[in-house]
Amino acid sequence: MTTGGPNLARRPDGAALVIALILAVIAGVIIWQTSQMRLPPVQQRVGPTVFPYVIAAGLLALSLGTLVQALRGSFPPREKGDMGPMLWIVAGLLAQIMLLSTAGFAIATGLLFAFTAKGFGRGPLWQTIPIGIVFALLVWFIFARGLQLSLPAGPLERLLP
Amino acid sequence: MNKLFVAALLTGALAVPAYAADYTIMAPASPGGGWDQTARTMQEALQAEGISGNVQVTNVPGAGGTIGLAQFVNQSTGNPDALIVGGYVMVGAVLTNMSPVTLADVTPIARLIGEADVIVVPAASELKTMDDLVAKLKADPGSVSWAGGSAGGVDHIAAGLIAKAVGVDPTQINYIAYSGGGEALAAVLGGQVTVGISGVGEFASQIEAGDLRALAVTGDTAVGDIPNLKDAGVDVAVTNWRMVAAAPGITDEQKAAVTADIEKMAMSQTWKTALETKGWTDMYMAGADFDAQLAKDIEATSAILKDVGLVQ
Amino acid sequence: MDTFGLLYEGLLSALQWQNLIYAFIGVTLGTAVGVLPGIGPALTVALLLPVTYKLDAAGSLIMFAGIYYGGMYGGSTTSILLNTPGESASIVTALEGNKMARKGRGGPALATAAIGSFIAGLIATLALAFIAPWVVKIALMFGPADYFALMVLAFVTVSAAFGDSPLRGITALFIGLGLGLIGIDLQSGQARLAFGIPDLLDGIEVTTLAVALFAIGETLMIASTSANVKDEVMAIKGSVWMTLEDWKRSWAPWLRGTAIGFPIGAMPAGGAEIGTFFSYAAERQLTKHPEEFGEGAIEGVAGPEAANNASAAGTLVPLLTLGLPTSATAAIMLAGFQQFGLQPGPLLFTNNASLVWALIASLLVANFMLVVLNLPLVGLWVRLLNIPKPWLYGGILVFATLGTLGANGAMSGHLGPISFSFELMMLLAFGVLGYLLRLFGYPIAPVVIGLILGPMAEQQLRRALAISQGDFTALVHSPIAIGLYVIAAAAVLVPLWLRMRGKGDVLSQMAADED
Repeated sequence: MTTGGPNLARRPDGAALVIALILAVIAGVIIWQTSQMRLPPVQQRVGPTVFPYVIAAGLLALSLGTLVQALRGSFPPREKGDMGPMLWIVAGLLAQIMLLSTAGFAIATGLLFAFTAKGFGRGPLWQTIPIGIVFALLVWFIFARGLQLSLPAGPLERLLP
Repeated sequence: MNKLFVAALLTGALAVPAYAADYTIMAPASPGGGWDQTARTMQEALQAEGISGNVQVTNVPGAGGTIGLAQFVNQSTGNPDALIVGGYVMVGAVLTNMSPVTLADVTPIARLIGEADVIVVPAASELKTMDDLVAKLKADPGSVSWAGGSAGGVDHIAAGLIAKAVGVDPTQINYIAYSGGGEALAAVLGGQVTVGISGVGEFASQIEAGDLRALAVTGDTAVGDIPNLKDAGVDVAVTNWRMVAAAPGITDEQKAAVTADIEKMAMSQTWKTALETKGWTDMYMAGADFDAQLAKDIEATSAILKDVGLVQ
Repeated sequence: MDTFGLLYEGLLSALQWQNLIYAFIGVTLGTAVGVLPGIGPALTVALLLPVTYKLDAAGSLIMFAGIYYGGMYGGSTTSILLNTPGESASIVTALEGNKMARKGRGGPALATAAIGSFIAGLIATLALAFIAPWVVKIALMFGPADYFALMVLAFVTVSAAFGDSPLRGITALFIGLGLGLIGIDLQSGQARLAFGIPDLLDGIEVTTLAVALFAIGETLMIASTSANVKDEVMAIKGSVWMTLEDWKRSWAPWLRGTAIGFPIGAMPAGGAEIGTFFSYAAERQLTKHPEEFGEGAIEGVAGPEAANNASAAGTLVPLLTLGLPTSATAAIMLAGFQQFGLQPGPLLFTNNASLVWALIASLLVANFMLVVLNLPLVGLWVRLLNIPKPWLYGGILVFATLGTLGANGAMSGHLGPISFSFELMMLLAFGVLGYLLRLFGYPIAPVVIGLILGPMAEQQLRRALAISQGDFTALVHSPIAIGLYVIAAAAVLVPLWLRMRGKGDVLSQMAADED
């Protein structure tokens, strides 16, 4: 995590402006959704809408504060992140999520393992995917068979006795 | 490497021989919860009695069981080996969550066990009988604070039915929801609320110890020297029951086979012993009787949820 | 027989050699499963409880005690070494513990956690044996108004975890508060911000959020920066053991953490994580090394870890004396006790005296076994960091998704013909959020703290006002609530006052005087 003194250039910080906008949008969504709520006629002194409005108001104030800091350019400088590795990992998670119900835990999670390793620079995939699948199958066997945890089974898992 | 170490250890200690799966029971709740315990007790009894070679339990928690119910209908249609555990709470949850999948979408097999609610006051309370409570409720509904489980659950429904039966507007009851029977119990013991309403099992040991006074139970029959509501002059009967259902779209023969297996389990010694250890009441009911009872419960629940204003 | 006699008898039975073996197996299994990132104590106990059913009552009790303490302890290891707490009670441990690990001081951090857990477990278990009936009486005096005051105090102390910018800290807290709104409102039964998605009706699972923000967010952050920063080796610098200085700085936080954690664990609506927040805030206030906080102060590991374990024993107070399960773990334990023939409740100590004392003795033995097992392993655990990053983080993601699936595995999302797990989708989304928060210098812990405290504060306030029928003065009727508000006010005003009088001078003077 990066910490540091204020940006000396004092230019408006684009990313911080976006954060301020996002906070305001979240506050707007909370207010809009809460105003749409059907209130049951049950007697309630402080109803279910009070806290959402309070929190939305707080988010609006924080959005303003962020806006001021963004204009002053007083957000901490950040390291330039490398998107490539991140995309591999996010892709791995997405692949796992989408494959779990059909391919089963071992294949889906094996892909996640291999893609994560790829994100950290270890490959090639044709080597890491089998390693990941064997590892995930072992994990599946311990937790699903040994400890009765419900984990999705696919073709590989059904091969196990 | 530690992971291998862990793995070796776990396999060594825990690996169990596996058979081909017979029944798969879905518990639409987290591991450790009531439905999960029911499912796992069934698993034990079905295997121990040799009714089924290997029984798997899967947990799909969320939204009062409606998430599990939806997934069950989605994935198991026509599968005669798939079972799901459910209960009265699910009846209410289907209505309050406006769940697109209801109990009408599965094949109910049998009601297995049940538990009535009990209405309690702290030992020091001025309320001695159900009549005292009714009088206070009629005088000023807001002055009686009820501690129980979440809004729309069986405790809330019972409180609403009582108010309605004695002629008080159910929307005026001062119902304080707690996230579990335990927290509600603490509120009653600490004298924070007027009355507590929750399952008999939650309060039983405090009643026995004399820290709480039981005014009435909500079931059909008295429990020990605690009168049921009808005998105490309030025409209400609610019981929180648990059931087992099979998948939709199975044939009548398949349904009959499942029902026979479940009946065999419910009559077995393993099952009866397990109920006794866990303090559950046997409320076995199957076939047409159960279908009629289920329809009646759904109708009554739907009416009272409208009355207390939770459902439109 | 008097209490000591009963305890002695319990210890005698727990110390039989086969029971010691059961305790060893229980502690090993509990630690082994609890150490996996993303699998918290509740799931650990739920998974391993059936293992104990096969044994006789004494054997299963002692193995169970081992699993319980092992599971509680296991979580802090990954929290310290990898910044991936598996549950909410070890989030605070990660704050300072992981900073220590990054400086090559992972060994001392693990050791202070292990010894602190042992000391807290020992004191709290003895307190459970001797003063439980009195503690529970005090705990029951807490009404909704008092709990609300406690939450206010907790909110005040959260600022200790804000890092260097109050604005970003409060923003993180409010993101958590906003997430806490999602789901069915307990009091009215109405859905809030659920957008018609059934999976959101139960609200955001704290474990999912914590695992996503910490484990997934951390993995993404490290992946995106590891190309620039060539292998910052975190392994050991200096000894893996605590130095004399470490001991000097740890013993008082251990005791304070125990004193804070035990009563909060005993409160029916307390919760283990709140004790850890208070302990962290207290250590930050009292430390002689304020400049080290946020950079790896050992007090910030010693205190919260002791508080965490003390509250684990505290949870057993209402469970054994009233039959009140006050946490997910406790609810699962209740089911377990019934299996052993124990009916928790006010009559337990009279009806089942020998079993209860066997349990308490088991807890003492398990606690001892835990420190015996884990201190020698500290060196081994630290070597986790020597696993090549691709395999290490691959493994972390495997277990993080496994824990999430195991706890909430419904395949309830649909995309065309494919059904997927909505909970895993949330894990991914919050993981990306965790990365973005890190990227822009927002602290992570306040988000989770907001998700925990927000709903509790709201429910307690609304309960208090419902019971009083709308009378706001009910909030300050009880002396407990007034006392808590006074402490909260002091926590805000005293540092301000010190700062106005030239904080730096005063504090460094104090430090110089005492050293």
